[in-house]
Amino acid sequence: MAEGARILVIDDDHQIRRMLRVALSGYGYSLSEAATGKEGLNEATLFHPDLVILDLGLPDLDGMEVINRLREWTQVPIIVLSVRERETDKINGLDAGADDYLTKPFSMGELLARIRVAIRHVAGNADEPVLTFPDLIVDLARRLVLLKGEELKLTPTEYEILKALALHAGRVVTHRQLLRVVWGPNFQEETHYLRVYIGQLRRKIEEDPARPRYILTEAGVGYRFTSGE
Amino acid sequence: MANSRAPSASICPAPVKPYAWTLLAVVLVTLIGKPISSLFDIANVTLLYLLPVLMAAVRWGRGPSLFASFLGVLAFDFFFVPPVFSFAVSDIKYIFTFAVFLLVGLVTGTMATRIRDELEKTKQREKRTFALYALSEKIASKADLGEILATFARTMAEAVDGQVSILAGEGDYVGELASYPASAGVGDEKQKAVVRWVLEHGQGAGRGTDILREASELIFPIKADKKTVAALCVNLGPERRPLPMEKRQLIEAFANLAAVAIIRLRLAEEAEQVQRLAESEKLHKALLDSISHDLRTPLASITGAVTSLLAEGGSYDQEAKGILLDTIKEGAFRLNHFVANLLDMARLQSGSLKLRAEWHDIQDIVGVALREIHDVVEGHPVLVNIGPDLPLVKADFGLIEHVLINLLENAAKYAPGGSEIVVSARPVESMMLISVADRGPVIPADEGEHIFDKFYRVQRSKSISGSGLGLSICRGIVEAHGGMIWVDSPLERGNRFTFSLPLARQGQSETAGEGLEGI
Repeated sequence: MAEGARILVIDDDHQIRRMLRVALSGYGYSLSEAATGKEGLNEATLFHPDLVILDLGLPDLDGMEVINRLREWTQVPIIVLSVRERETDKINGLDAGADDYLTKPFSMGELLARIRVAIRHVAGNADEPVLTFPDLIVDLARRLVLLKGEELKLTPTEYEILKALALHAGRVVTHRQLLRVVWGPNFQEETHYLRVYIGQLRRKIEEDPARPRYILTEAGVGYRFTSGE
Repeated sequence: MANSRAPSASICPAPVKPYAWTLLAVVLVTLIGKPISSLFDIANVTLLYLLPVLMAAVRWGRGPSLFASFLGVLAFDFFFVPPVFSFAVSDIKYIFTFAVFLLVGLVTGTMATRIRDELEKTKQREKRTFALYALSEKIASKADLGEILATFARTMAEAVDGQVSILAGEGDYVGELASYPASAGVGDEKQKAVVRWVLEHGQGAGRGTDILREASELIFPIKADKKTVAALCVNLGPERRPLPMEKRQLIEAFANLAAVAIIRLRLAEEAEQVQRLAESEKLHKALLDSISHDLRTPLASITGAVTSLLAEGGSYDQEAKGILLDTIKEGAFRLNHFVANLLDMARLQSGSLKLRAEWHDIQDIVGVALREIHDVVEGHPVLVNIGPDLPLVKADFGLIEHVLINLLENAAKYAPGGSEIVVSARPVESMMLISVADRGPVIPADEGEHIFDKFYRVQRSKSISGSGLGLSICRGIVEAHGGMIWVDSPLERGNRFTFSLPLARQGQSETAGEGLEGI
């Protein structure tokens, strides 16, 4: 589907770049690499990538800075790579406009899935009034949620959360983003509201709420709606 | 001897009084001597006049004693030597008596004065010694520098009868470490300049010294290890007289004592540090042993599998390749998990572990941990027993996830394959109790309390690879949350690890959520 898409990798680690080059080229992507933030920003203007993979721990520029400068002129999807110790950077990066993140070490399967989702999102399947997942259908036009064909009774808040997540299926949605979409900009810090509602929502749509199939928790970051495969 | 006169001069507060008393004493002697003089040779009366001389010398020193001598001679001449009631002298031998009397008066006066001075000095010295001794005892019994300096300032202020402050400075800044009375503190800019000078040059300055003598305070350096660490500032009041040597010495002695106190505290700190270092060295050794084992084991399997694939890549069938690749994946997972544990421990150890405690649904954390450790617990059915509508817990998501992962991993590692693992959570009073129960061999009760110690491994389990770090990290994390962790063995079947986390207070989380329903 995304064959031939152009990916720019900005990472100071030579081995990671080589690994990504080999692995992603094998899946038909064309790659360009940069070892520093400045080089990366420069390369972004020359290479015109369809997606940027950005490591947050760069030697010259702060990862946030790179995201901000990219966002000044392009909406190219950005997938952030980080180590666990830089969790706050990760969240800030996502709130600043990065599309998704991966924690090092990551598996190639995960990265490929993130890349596909990010590129597909840009290609645009918006305006689709019915979101269909295995066993779960969210009909945005009629505000209807069907689980295994049966209509689910959701409160307005639960529905808004599910809708916000399902619209970004496959991508992480940060707590802030979700709170802003559902409750408005004044409730961006009230993450405990979310915990309560996500818990309720899970009990309604998940078979085993402790092992959720649709709404996955991204520790410390937010939630990710998966297609439930 | 030159300076021995100084204190006696300063001790007579009103110099008129002693002379008045001396005069009175001479009058008294005259009144007593007159009626009885007819019974003796009048030369003996001169002996009576020695009494006021001695008294004045002992009590008030040289001046009054000289005064008494002259007064005695005059009175003797006037009242006793014929012609009586006249200063005229009829017999030349009385001139000789006067001379001898004056000489005797002078000598006894001087000697008595000297004895008096010695006594005074001894008293001073005793007072000083006692003050210093009392202070050194107080210093020895206190461990906190601030407290010691406060005691120091108070004791010294009482001993020298003035205001004392201990000041330290850095660059242009001059601050107060301690002072007595509290109002003493840091003075005006002029005083600060003197303090800065003293700190910089390590010499005394101010009143009574060669430098800045017009200042009202005397400022001494407090030196520890040849470095000036603070300044001792003494204000003895508005008087401008030169500072008596005795007091100056006393102040110097106090400054030395302060230095001793500071050095003693430093040494104690250093000793403590050395001990801490030794302990951490022991720990480091154990840690290194454990690290090298836990890092090398997965590395060995990865290296083995990779080199096999590289060397014989073509000849393996699909299944063999799959097994080798899985080995690599598993080894990498174990390495990553171990590194995470090491980092947690390093942070717990250094005290830099910052909790990002927020309200979380415990079921959520359990879910993420299960997802994370999915591969490891494979082959063990995991039963999750968490009721709906549990209150939220205040916890750091990532860290509690780690606790759960460590407990689940242990359960999978030590319990026989295929046996069930049960994760459950229930609120009890103000805590949430979360437990992971397995069907593994029961940990002996006497080892139960040690398994949370660093590097402790249950005797029987030594054949299974492990660092003995996991549970100690669990305890560190749980205790950082204000909870507890323990193990028991209900019905003697398997082990149940339980930890507690503080709950959201009633109405703090749920009602907040409900209140939003209408928004």
